[in-house]
Amino acid sequence: MVSPIKSLATLGVAILVTTGLARAGEITVYTAYEEDEIKAYVQGFNKANPDVKVNVLRLSTGDLAARIVAEAENPKHDVIWGFAVTNMVDPRILNSLEAYKPKDADKLDAKFRDAQDRWVATTGYMAAFCVNTEVLKAKNLPMPTSWQDLLKPVYKGEVVMPNPASSGTGYLQIVALLQGLGEEKGWKYLKDLDANINQYIKSGSKPCRSARAGEFAIGLSYEFVAIKSIAEGFPIKMVIPSEGAGYELEANGLVKTAKNKADAKKFLDWSVSTQAVELYSAYKGIVTIPGGKVSEEAQKAGLPANVAPILFKMDFEASARNRDAILTRWKKDIER
Amino acid sequence: MTAPASAMTPASPGAGRGPGPAPGPGRGTGALDGDRLFLMLVGLTVLAGLAIFIAWPMIVVFLKSVAVGSGYGFDNYTKVFSAPKFWTIVGHSLTVSATVTVITVVLAFIYAYALTRSAMPMKWLFRGIALLPVFAPSLVQALGLVFLFGRNGIINRTFGLDIKIYGFWGVVTADVLYCFPQAVLLLVTALSVADARPYEAATVLGAGPVRKFFDVTLPGVKFGLLAAAFLVFTIAITDFGNPMVIGGDYTVLANEIYNQVSGQMNFQLGSVVAIVLLLPALFAFQIERIANRRQFALVGDRSVPLVPRRAPLFDGAMLAAATLIAIPILAVVGIVIYASFVKTWPYNMTFTLNNYTQNTAQNGLQSLWNSVVVSLMAAGIGVVLAAAAAWVVAKDKGPVGRVVNALGLLPAAIPGMVLGLAYVFAFNAAGGVMALLYDTLLMLAICNVFHYFSQGLLTASTSLRQISKSFDEASSCLGGSAFDTLRHVTVPLVLPTLISVGVFFFMRSMVTLSAIIFLISPGTGLAAATVMLLDDAGSTTHAAAFSTLIMAVVLAALAILKLVERLFARPGRPGA
Repeated sequence: MVSPIKSLATLGVAILVTTGLARAGEITVYTAYEEDEIKAYVQGFNKANPDVKVNVLRLSTGDLAARIVAEAENPKHDVIWGFAVTNMVDPRILNSLEAYKPKDADKLDAKFRDAQDRWVATTGYMAAFCVNTEVLKAKNLPMPTSWQDLLKPVYKGEVVMPNPASSGTGYLQIVALLQGLGEEKGWKYLKDLDANINQYIKSGSKPCRSARAGEFAIGLSYEFVAIKSIAEGFPIKMVIPSEGAGYELEANGLVKTAKNKADAKKFLDWSVSTQAVELYSAYKGIVTIPGGKVSEEAQKAGLPANVAPILFKMDFEASARNRDAILTRWKKDIER
Repeated sequence: MTAPASAMTPASPGAGRGPGPAPGPGRGTGALDGDRLFLMLVGLTVLAGLAIFIAWPMIVVFLKSVAVGSGYGFDNYTKVFSAPKFWTIVGHSLTVSATVTVITVVLAFIYAYALTRSAMPMKWLFRGIALLPVFAPSLVQALGLVFLFGRNGIINRTFGLDIKIYGFWGVVTADVLYCFPQAVLLLVTALSVADARPYEAATVLGAGPVRKFFDVTLPGVKFGLLAAAFLVFTIAITDFGNPMVIGGDYTVLANEIYNQVSGQMNFQLGSVVAIVLLLPALFAFQIERIANRRQFALVGDRSVPLVPRRAPLFDGAMLAAATLIAIPILAVVGIVIYASFVKTWPYNMTFTLNNYTQNTAQNGLQSLWNSVVVSLMAAGIGVVLAAAAAWVVAKDKGPVGRVVNALGLLPAAIPGMVLGLAYVFAFNAAGGVMALLYDTLLMLAICNVFHYFSQGLLTASTSLRQISKSFDEASSCLGGSAFDTLRHVTVPLVLPTLISVGVFFFMRSMVTLSAIIFLISPGTGLAAATVMLLDDAGSTTHAAAFSTLIMAVVLAALAILKLVERLFARPGRPGA
């Protein structure tokens, strides 16, 4: 007879072992993609590769970055997937990646790939205003269409944006303005805009959620949350500023210490495949690989089929490198 | 007051000696040696746990804070201290925490007083309401406050007001709500055990109710009050969730950690702020000494339990006060539950069940189940460990007791995010048992236990302090060992408290996220993380619905516990 204690102990060890280690046929993926798109993409991948089980851990960009750096001594993941390039190019993360060029990655423009093939950016998101039409009506305000419009005194106290010190989206927005308008004009714009800002909210999607809840008229956020809010029935209009919008790319990379490199590579190959592109376009404002169709939700929200002309030209390397200096200046000159 | 005890000290010859060879002066009997051994054993076990899971991770954090290049130094500290606005932010933190402490302790004291010293009706209901913020996911509280007090909130819209919730008062309100239940838990414990005799004596001596309150009640709960003040202050100063969602431009120190770590991947500077935040905890180590002046045990071998008598006027006043405090707590949670049943709050208020039926999260229910398992483990481990630690602190006045107390009180001063990351740094690359433990539900439970250890320890300590030493002495006179006393006297007396400590660990584990977010793995998702995923994916109503499910599970678990308690309650025991 097996004693109950012994069988319990065996069970315990079994649980410890199965949850602790990745096995052949399984990969562990760290991502900052959102829950519903993850589901769709993984299903798509499994249609093509039914024998690979994908274990996904989803965290917000900042938390995930902190976690990856903290786990550096003993990484648990095989793949970093859908992760902001600004964070990806941080040396501590970049150096944890192994050069791997996915099959057919050549079809991507060189600017969407690392020169040493450590990452490939397949998707992205861009800055957008969430404007609450009900609040506009109630307060009798015009619809803003550009960054310049936001400086108009009528919007005083009705604009919210993310705090760039705590939110990646917030940093993206100010760095895009600084790179798009140039240092000097950029800082002057931020200073002028400050007069109309009600508060610098400490999260990136929150300004849009606050606007959709009717707390403020205009929330500076990104296109995904605007499209989502419109689809959910909130009285929100998405405005892509006419001068151009900053954007962030989401990239994938193979981890040097991956325990299952063969399957991880299959996953990375799939992520630049035509099938993947079709799925991306259902969720993403920016898809770097041509061939997708803008989703119905995004079309309804007013996202143009070709976003390339409305994007600021951005230098991710520089924005990662100058982060400390820019934030210090922002804190000194603008933060309240 | 201490007359019976002093008559039985081992120094008095002949008292309580067993047979056998004449012992040396004072101590040295077999029973005493066994006691000391048992105490040492428990003490060292608890100490080992605290050393591994609190001291070691925090040493790692400290080493990060002094890491400069390839060597060590205090450059990071000078860099943080000279950063723009750093001292303004310190000022914010101190102001918020002090305000929260005063408001919370006063409200919690009134509430606990009503629950324990009045004969007001429906106490069970008020007890339940007080606990709501402990097991409501933080999203619920944030949403609830905005729905109620926001610029477009119900109150401003209904009354045409312009209450500004974002900023100082928003943070204070949210923190008071969050800290209130934890202070109530402590103060109920402090107030519920009482001896009727001093009150009778005071009445005989002609003291009025006010005099009795200040001369008998307050001194009796001094430890509880100080402990509550310490707890609330440290929790408020380390909280970054509330300032994040409702603080607007008001930034506190804990935000600074988040900005450095999650915003800029700068662990060194984040660690500096984390170490600075430990300072208020130093005050806590003095509580014991302050409280010991004029403190007396409330229940001795001769005490008569204080049973509140009916007094319509007083009971009515207490009921009114408790109701006034309970209403905002209920409203904040209630409005989110309501919102989870409508289409698009506040624009389309049609009733719908879609938020429950169309759950977009994968593994949503699995995560709920994982959370229940983690929370049960945390409750079990937490109760045993917190009770053992409190017992060691009470019995061992030597270094072991002091170190256990200090380490046990430290977690309240550690922001969850710091603890979680410290666990990654300390245990992720470790071998042996830790490698097996890492990535398991048990590891998450352990993290939760130590995250909330101070609350458990302080509550258990408060309860233990009210039991007179004369029980121990009586018990050892009768030949009982420390273990016998513990089993037959101490544990039965503090059992109601232990149950509420277990419930507290369970509830917090169901919803906390700040620490374990760095420890969950794809196979060990938790319910609170699912709420975050849903909310991040843009679906607030789904997140609200899932939060409501979590609260329902906690309530169901509580109901089961009550039933079990009823079944096992031996007749005649008070407090059952």
